[in-house]
Amino acid sequence: MRKTLLTLVLLCVLFTSILFSNTTLRMIQVFASPERTKIIENIIEKFEALKPGVKIELISPPYETAVSKVNIMMSNEEPLDIVEVSDWLLSGLVSMGVLENLERYITRSEQAKYWVDGVVEAARTVNNTAYIMPNAIYVKTLFYRPDILEKYNILGAPRSMGEMMAICQYITNGRDQYGYSYRGIDPVNFMDLVLCSFFNDIDPACMYKTTSGKIIFEDPRALEGLKFYIELYHKASPKDSISWGFDEQVNAFVSGLTPILFQDPDTTALLNYLLTTGVYKTAPLPVGPGGKVYPTFGFGGWGIPSYSKNKDIAWEFIEFFNLPENAAYFCKEYGALPVDSRIYESDPYFGSAVFDGWAAMFDDPVTYQITAYPIDNELWGEWFRLQGDIQERLLMNRMTPERALQEFTNFWKDAGI
Amino acid sequence: MALFIPTFSVIGFLTIYPTIRGFILSFQNYTVFNIRRIRYIGLQNYERVLQSGDFGLILWNTFVWIFFSVLFQMLLGLGLALLMRKPFKGRGIYAGFVFYPWALSGFAIGLIWRWLFDGSFGIINDILIRLGIIERGISFFSDPVLAMVAVITVNIWYGFPFFAIMILAALQGIPQDVYESAWMDGANPINTFFKVTLPFIRPVLINTVLLRVIWVMNYPDIIYAMTRGGPAKATEILSVYMINIVFYENNNFSKASAVGVIIISILMVFTTFTYLVTNTKRMEL
Repeated sequence: MRKTLLTLVLLCVLFTSILFSNTTLRMIQVFASPERTKIIENIIEKFEALKPGVKIELISPPYETAVSKVNIMMSNEEPLDIVEVSDWLLSGLVSMGVLENLERYITRSEQAKYWVDGVVEAARTVNNTAYIMPNAIYVKTLFYRPDILEKYNILGAPRSMGEMMAICQYITNGRDQYGYSYRGIDPVNFMDLVLCSFFNDIDPACMYKTTSGKIIFEDPRALEGLKFYIELYHKASPKDSISWGFDEQVNAFVSGLTPILFQDPDTTALLNYLLTTGVYKTAPLPVGPGGKVYPTFGFGGWGIPSYSKNKDIAWEFIEFFNLPENAAYFCKEYGALPVDSRIYESDPYFGSAVFDGWAAMFDDPVTYQITAYPIDNELWGEWFRLQGDIQERLLMNRMTPERALQEFTNFWKDAGI
Repeated sequence: MALFIPTFSVIGFLTIYPTIRGFILSFQNYTVFNIRRIRYIGLQNYERVLQSGDFGLILWNTFVWIFFSVLFQMLLGLGLALLMRKPFKGRGIYAGFVFYPWALSGFAIGLIWRWLFDGSFGIINDILIRLGIIERGISFFSDPVLAMVAVITVNIWYGFPFFAIMILAALQGIPQDVYESAWMDGANPINTFFKVTLPFIRPVLINTVLLRVIWVMNYPDIIYAMTRGGPAKATEILSVYMINIVFYENNNFSKASAVGVIIISILMVFTTFTYLVTNTKRMEL
């Protein structure tokens, strides 16, 4: 009997090793940076050690061109087995028909049972079908520098947009101290956060509509919000922040030039490296006159191209990547919110003060109401450019806020949301 | 004839095919998201480009960018070549330093200069403040004129060594006895420059200007790295516009190709016109 069992086990090992021998998976990430690449490579190494014969070749295109690269590779059906899909990339790839439906894998997966609220909906954003296995959540919060604010006798973070404006204006001297770390390039999500906080009836399923179905830019409250946001630039932000991207925003925050910043959790990894513990804190996003604020639930995840010849092994890796120990390592080192609820309970880092802002927001989903972008709309990609261009014109007084809102309204009416 | 086949094959594969393909693409609806539903849409892409409210501004920006870049590159290059004409100790090392920018990547240069010009942390502002010239940092990238000045300055810095190299080579080809005859006839240095030096280097100058106009027009690297065409399209030239269409309009390669065809057409008209004018002048001489 023992001999038979032993033979069976050996046969299984032999069969598995033949099956997986010399399999090379090609994987592409879209948020590449040298640090992130190293983190993913470490997880790949662990997987390869567990699966002799399986090799994973990681492709890490530069961040700026990564989305185009993924689009082009997948549309040409170039060899790929695992693809990182950000929320803003998802609908385009699904409409191209190049992403595998992962429902059969996810419904069998133990991990899906432990997903935090919102992840299931995120995975099934398009066609109510899971085309990706989410690996991280990105929700904006308020980062602030108590050490700078205390110099001006300001204790704690602003709780409302009005309070934030008052603080930012108060500390701005126009030379070496400003209040707010403005985002000039790709302002989507920064402008919207402020503008929507003037509402109290944003549609949870679409940030640009009210619950009554009206496009928000047609509403007088949008004008108030937009004027407020422009004032924040003119009265409390450095002039050159009109051309700031992520790097400049964070750089200004680290140097103390602008002690108030809205950003995603991936900023924490950078700040933990650049600043000593406790120098920065997070707090919930300030609420607007509507008594609410509407962060969006950003996410990224791994998908499998529909034309991949190694779908099952690719899925094995995706599950391996999302095991609590690997996901915790990835989220901590890269700076992201884990999708697996077990990590928040088991890893003290995710319960530390760094996460106060997010913890408070998630505890009060009525005030901090999560909403979504119309990312499945065909014109979503063009919205970026339009909103960015118009913001620049607004800040340079080359367009009136009324005209800008008219343009926004026309765009979304044409887009049919 | 058979000996030409390899050359024609390489040129055909690397130049002619992509040009024809780009031309065809500009009449289609090729975006990455409808790669399986590509069809001909006539002149729609051209209409969208030409009817865009910003096209006039982009054309004007392109003209300003080329005119000032090439003009100052030529003047500085000429000055430098004249200074380096006579041998001096360490000329080789000095020339190496001067020509160094030409060997760098345009995109890397753009990123470096972006930080140098930064309104809050830039070295240029820091120096100006320390020298007492300004009180607070200038926000180069928040002002349309200053942003254009900044990108053109960097392009001049990057491109003038090329002019210097070309002009220096031409200067070294001028026979010394021509200068000696001019001096014996009583010509002063200014007369010598205009009557001897300039006519001798004129063909090189014309060809170099022509080359540089083509290159500068097709050179989005510095602008893309420094401003991406902003603020409010103040530095957006045709080649940057083309890239922005690909990146920000759902990878619309067809519309971008239409811009590419417009660029080629403008350059063809310019090149033909330049050759006609310069050949006429030569005949007049």
